[in-house]
Formats: sequence, C-alpha cells, structure tokens
Amino acid sequence: MAYSEDHIALAAEYALGTLDADKRAQVETMMSVDKDFTAIVEAWQQRLGVLNQMVGPIEPKPEVWDRIKAAIGHSETQSPLLLPDAPPPEPVAPADAPPAAPVDTSNVVRLSAQARRWRNVATFTAAIAAALVAMIATQLYAPDRLPDGLRPKVRTQVVEVKTEVPPTPSAQYVALLQKDSASPAFILTVDGTTRNFTVRRVGATPERGKSFELWLVSEKLQRPRSLGVIGGDDFTTRPVLESYDPDTVNEATYAVTIEPEGGSPTGVATGPIVFTGKLIEAVPPAAPAPAR
Amino acid sequence: MLTPAELVWLLAAVAKGDEAAFERLYAATRAKLFGVVLRILRRQDLAEEVIQEAYVKIWNSAGQFNPGLSSPITWMASIARNRAIDVVRKRTEVSIEEEPSAMEVAADSPDPLARREMTEELKRMLECVGRLEPDRQKLVLLAYYNGWSREQLAAKFETPVNTVKTWLRRSMMDIRECLGL
Repeated sequence: MAYSEDHIALAAEYALGTLDADKRAQVETMMSVDKDFTAIVEAWQQRLGVLNQMVGPIEPKPEVWDRIKAAIGHSETQSPLLLPDAPPPEPVAPADAPPAAPVDTSNVVRLSAQARRWRNVATFTAAIAAALVAMIATQLYAPDRLPDGLRPKVRTQVVEVKTEVPPTPSAQYVALLQKDSASPAFILTVDGTTRNFTVRRVGATPERGKSFELWLVSEKLQRPRSLGVIGGDDFTTRPVLESYDPDTVNEATYAVTIEPEGGSPTGVATGPIVFTGKLIEAVPPAAPAPAR
Repeated sequence: MLTPAELVWLLAAVAKGDEAAFERLYAATRAKLFGVVLRILRRQDLAEEVIQEAYVKIWNSAGQFNPGLSSPITWMASIARNRAIDVVRKRTEVSIEEEPSAMEVAADSPDPLARREMTEELKRMLECVGRLEPDRQKLVLLAYYNGWSREQLAAKFETPVNTVKTWLRRSMMDIRECLGL
C-alpha cells in the first residue's frame, strides 16, 4: 500500500521516541501486520541512529554480563553438553516427485478451486490488515475523523515527580566548518560547561607558508575575535571561549581564514574566509525530563 | 570498537549460536549501548536491566539482522534504545513510589566528543539538523538523546502538545528532504 505523510510521520516519531506508551504499542501492532511499514520505521531508526555516534561510551558493571549469560542459558563453568545425536529429519517428498498412484484428475479442479478460495481469503486478510493500519494511523494522527466508538479515549494521568538529580553530563555543541555542505573541513566542538573548544581537522591542509585561523563572529562584538591558529595538528584544544558569555558562544558564526604562517599579525583577519559554520547543540545535557 | 564489517561477521556467528562471538560482540558494543540507554533512563539500575534484556534479544534475534538495511551498531542500539523508551514511557504512567533510591549516574565518559568517530552519514545528519530553526534542533535532539515524550517536550518548551506534534512532524519531514530521501 502507499503510505500517507501521516504514516511516515508516525514511523519517524516512533523512531525518534516521542510517542507515549499506547501509541508505541499501536505502532508495534502496525509493524507486526505490515512489513512495508516496518521497513519505513527501520529506515528512520537507521537514519537517526547515526546520532548515537555522539554519545559517550559508559561501561556497565561486570555483573551485567553474568546476568546476560545466565539468561541465555550458558555460563563459563558449565561443562560442554553432550547432546544425543539429533534424529534424522523426516523424509520430505521432493516437490517434483512423480505421483505414486494414478492421478485422479477430478481432484485437480477441486484443488484449484480451493486454492482460489484461499487466495480470496488471503486478499481479504491483507485488506483487513491495511484497513487496520489506516485506522490506527487515523486514531493517532487525526482522531477527530473517526466515529465516536473508534476514537481513542483521552486519558488523564497524575504523575508524581521525584526530585532526583544525578550529576549532569554537560551539553556538547558541534559546528561543521565548511565551504559547502558536501565537504566539512573542520569540526568544532564546544563543551557546554567548561566552554573548552576542540577543532578537529578533517579535510583541510593549509598551503605552505600559510595558516588557518579561527574567528568568532558575533553581532554582540564589534569585530571578529581570533580564537587562534588551528589545523597544525589534527586536534587543537583551547579554553579561550571561557571569556565569552554562553549566548555569544552559542549564537556566533565561526569562520576560518587563511592567514600568514602563525596567524594574522594584526589581530584582524587579513585573508579570505574559507570555511564557516554555526554551533548546534548536538548532545543536550542529560537533564531530568520535565514531568506532565 | 570493531569495524562495522567485523560486527556484521560477529552477528552472523551469534545467529548460529556461537557464544564466543556473542561475548566478543558484547565486549565491543556494551559501553556504547549502555551510554545510550543511561542517558534516557538516568538510573544505573534501570539501565542495567534494559541492557541485559537488549542483549538477550540480540542473542535471540541476530538472525533477523539485515546488513543491507542497517548498520550493526545502529541495529543493536535501536533494540536497546526502544526498550529504554518503553521503560520510561511506562514509568511515568504508574506510581513510582516504591523505587529504590537513585544511584549515581556516571558522568559522561572521558572519551571526548571531538575525538570520536564521525561518519559521513553523521556529518550529513548534523548538517540537516543544523538547518532546522534553533528551537526545533533542540526539540529533535532532546527527543532523541534524552528520550523525552511529546508531553515532556511541551512542558519544556511551554507549548501545547499539539504544537509540539506539528513541530516534530515538520522537523522530521525537513530532515528527510534535506537528506535527499
């Protein structure tokens, strides 16, 4: 079946994770009756899943592995199991085996009629599945279009909030400094708490006798401020952004110019701007979720 | 971390019941998956339960992994992440009185973001997220990384839930268009 924007948006939101428990269950029902819809959901999971590259690895406790091993039914101390020989598989008649008995041709007609009947049932089942999918999607996205009986009930829930505040990993900001979207040259990352920045060189090599210099350009400042020469090494890390207020850091444009070796002698950019970018909050701080 | 090709190979071995391969797969991926679910659940004990369930599911369904459709780490992370989201969605709907006291959630890893691998796909995705309006960027990323629901996002942005729903939908469609899909 063809999928409406509603279906696609629903698949996307499932993958993003914003649906509530009921709607998640409904999407899972749709996935179980509709392979093509499942493929749309999985495509979204794959698309968004690249964002996980930005999440820092954290080691779970060693006991977790012991519990997993126990759950899948093996442990290191277990002696190898001696399995009895598996019984030979039931002989299966090859599909094209010649019939052992003379063929009763009247059967053929009856069988093909039966096959037709089953095909009808299959078509009908598929139609029900499609209708079900459409109905669930309508329930999720446009409940008002359904007759009363089919409208999902509005549920009001009182949620108790516990104030637990584990230490909060800070936000991470990223800017791709590039000429065009196809070719980032530097990746700038800024730690939300310390405001340390790191510039990673990915595609740019300075000409001999020239240097790349990074500038912070903001409406709040009268002129671009130098953040220093970058790109000599693959990584450049500096704390210079500390002296700027967070809004300035977040909203600024970062620009890279080509300067004489060692950087602009005057503190003002002299060369052409070759790469620019703005920060996005790539990894938000792991703050407690607001309750509703 | 092993290369995607090595992970695909390990998953294929796991699908045949190879326990040694499963142990290597776990060793190579546990910290990433744990990092993903801990951000969402924010409780060490819950994150451990979810990771345990996720790996049992990976063990049981490795045969369903299709390398033509997704990358191995994303496939595994989706299993863990979906489980984590199910848990947080259910938790806000039931009483959470009898919870054990909150444990310390480890601070983000010593592995700085700047030094992590960034694939071409990630750069394109960031590029597309970066084209959304700043509020929408935040909305999408809070949803993805922290696992917030429409309702929680509505509270955070002080906006009706229906508006958040529209924003999310618009943002996802913009991203899809930007990715050229």
